[in-house]
Amino acid sequence: MNQALSRRGFLHLVGAFGGSAAVYQAALGMGLLPTVAHADRPDIAPIGGKRRTKVVVLGAGISGLAATYELRRKGYDVQVIEASHRAGGRNLTLRGGDLVDESGYPQTCGFDRDPDLYFNAGPARIPGHHSALLGYCKELGIQLSPFINDNRSALVQDDAMFGGRPIRNREYITDTRGFIAELLAKSLKPEQLSASFTSADYSRLLEYVRQFGELDGRFTYTGSARAGFVKHDYTGPEKLKQPLAISELMRSGFMYVMSFGELDDQSAMMMEPVGGMDRVVAGFMSKVGDCVRTHSQVESIRLTERGVDVVYRNDGKRTLVQADYCLNCIPMQLLAGIEHNFPPEYSGGFTAVKRGKLFKIGLQMKERFWEREGIYGGISWTMQDITQLWYPAHGIHRDKGVMLGAYTFGDDVGEKWSRMTPAQRIEAAIQQGEKLHPGYRSYVEHGVSIPWHRMNHMLGCSARWDDSVRDQWFKRLQAPVGAHYLIGDQLSYHSGWQEGAIHSAYHAIADIDKRVRGQAAQVVAA
Amino acid sequence: MKVRLAVLAALAFVTNVDAADKPDLSYCTVCHGAHGNGNPAIRAPKIAGMEPWYIRRQLELFRDGMRGTHPDDYPGHEMQPVGVRLRDDAGIEAALAYVAGFQPKTPPATVDGDTKRGSSLYETCAACHGAKGEGNQSLGAPALASRTDWYLVTQLQNYKTGLRGDDARDTNGAQMRAIAATLPDEQAIDDVVAYINTLR
Repeated sequence: MNQALSRRGFLHLVGAFGGSAAVYQAALGMGLLPTVAHADRPDIAPIGGKRRTKVVVLGAGISGLAATYELRRKGYDVQVIEASHRAGGRNLTLRGGDLVDESGYPQTCGFDRDPDLYFNAGPARIPGHHSALLGYCKELGIQLSPFINDNRSALVQDDAMFGGRPIRNREYITDTRGFIAELLAKSLKPEQLSASFTSADYSRLLEYVRQFGELDGRFTYTGSARAGFVKHDYTGPEKLKQPLAISELMRSGFMYVMSFGELDDQSAMMMEPVGGMDRVVAGFMSKVGDCVRTHSQVESIRLTERGVDVVYRNDGKRTLVQADYCLNCIPMQLLAGIEHNFPPEYSGGFTAVKRGKLFKIGLQMKERFWEREGIYGGISWTMQDITQLWYPAHGIHRDKGVMLGAYTFGDDVGEKWSRMTPAQRIEAAIQQGEKLHPGYRSYVEHGVSIPWHRMNHMLGCSARWDDSVRDQWFKRLQAPVGAHYLIGDQLSYHSGWQEGAIHSAYHAIADIDKRVRGQAAQVVAA
Repeated sequence: MKVRLAVLAALAFVTNVDAADKPDLSYCTVCHGAHGNGNPAIRAPKIAGMEPWYIRRQLELFRDGMRGTHPDDYPGHEMQPVGVRLRDDAGIEAALAYVAGFQPKTPPATVDGDTKRGSSLYETCAACHGAKGEGNQSLGAPALASRTDWYLVTQLQNYKTGLRGDDARDTNGAQMRAIAATLPDEQAIDDVVAYINTLR
């Protein structure tokens, strides 16, 4: 019985004795399953003794709330100071009656009060690998549902192709791939490949190209079920759509975003909290809300011998907080206007990192017309300024729905939107939306616009690190200065995502834990 | 009970309107920084210690669309709708009173330039703004010393390129625009501001 076991045979044996978890662990060890490393949730030592370590958290955004939750569980004395009227930072879900706190243009959200009529004005989707955030959703009882990000039945519209007529996303992707595959199959010769390519390899390569573009027996692209059918009437034979003219398709800037739904952060399976992304905020607040003070603007942060002194103003009254440590998720562009005694080689970073100018519009539609067009969730793209339309995956087949009517990322286009009044923005969004969905205007009941670089207590989204700024500043700003830690998605390699915010919080509180343990050890030794 | 609910609803409505109508002045420091001492990251200047008559005029210009409306003046446009929100004299008075409560700080000098050349260029400025940059209300010229220097640079550029002082109704601005046009080059702006920094 000295016969070597095959890998599968070995796994079967492990499973028989150790159960499936053992199989999984063994498989990881043998390199059969792909694994991805995550930032670990720090194992904070509980605080004992009479004097509890005091931590002041500046900003009740996701990083501040996650850090507060973790530290309080372990007995730390935590106080959170938040400038705006609400907790959550950019995790903002708008419902009827909510204030949209834009500088100069305060708006009141006019959506109907209904559990399905809300708009996630900040983060709106959670990828399956954002394990820290998903872990909190599980722990805090936040119910999740699938989020549809990529929908091949949604539209692509560009004035540069087909005279501006929208096409289905699947048509663009399939027809361009078909053309590219046919071109490659017909021009690729065995002699162009290196000697290590055998003729069998060449045949396999051609076969891959055929499958890639769904070419026929003669390596010609004549249409594909991937691009869709002329009609869906199953009483008769199916008829493929004719391939679209490649010269038209190539004119569109959509080529720059066509692979968006394949990105690590944007591909299925994605989730959203049932009832709005701010269920995450509500989950944290149910645990730590009693130590969060809103309407409190920080005026000064001073490093001291003992720790950090913070002065904040609430209703005209100034209050001094003295803490052993400070976790600060105030956006750097605002921090640059707060008094402090940080060394310049630290505070210089606040102005070096630029603020992004993301912009969103939410529209309450009196009818879910997109579902009649066969679009259930997902994103349509247009090369107009609105860039994207999102169709809600919640509340399917109900009468009304709240759509995303614009989501833009570039600074120039963000500034363009913010120069308009809120009413002008909605009007522009309606005009542009008409090009994708004729009659669009007639469905719009109410609109809200959120230029994140104009929202009070934020004035930017998200931190823009270019390579040279990152090389110069990131490590310095990620490290503490005295007992002060800068946190938030701004201090991560994943700005604009809640997971980045949580990882930055983990990084900081793990360091505080280390220092607190070190002090405890010194006391014991003394 | 029905009546009471109706009264409550009416009250809630009134509160809402009131909140939307009355600008919360603590928003000033969101952009302009603690005590209104300025925020270079978002190009919001120091307003602490600014003359009330000058602030009033600028708020009126913003409110009435004479400043911050040029499409290329982005930071100006960030302020413009805030001016509109202040709406009337009462709003502006309240803002002036609020700003008067700030404790001004001397901002750091950030502009490099040839102070000698700046000194001779400043002779033109001194006629209105005073030899020590102390300002002159009767001429409508604000103090320049101890302002955020990067803001002075931006404003001179804005005057020079017509982003500010372009509206015929803004007579002080038009005057300043004409004078800024005499600054021979970009370097002259840095030089004169570097000199103004020596007047603190």
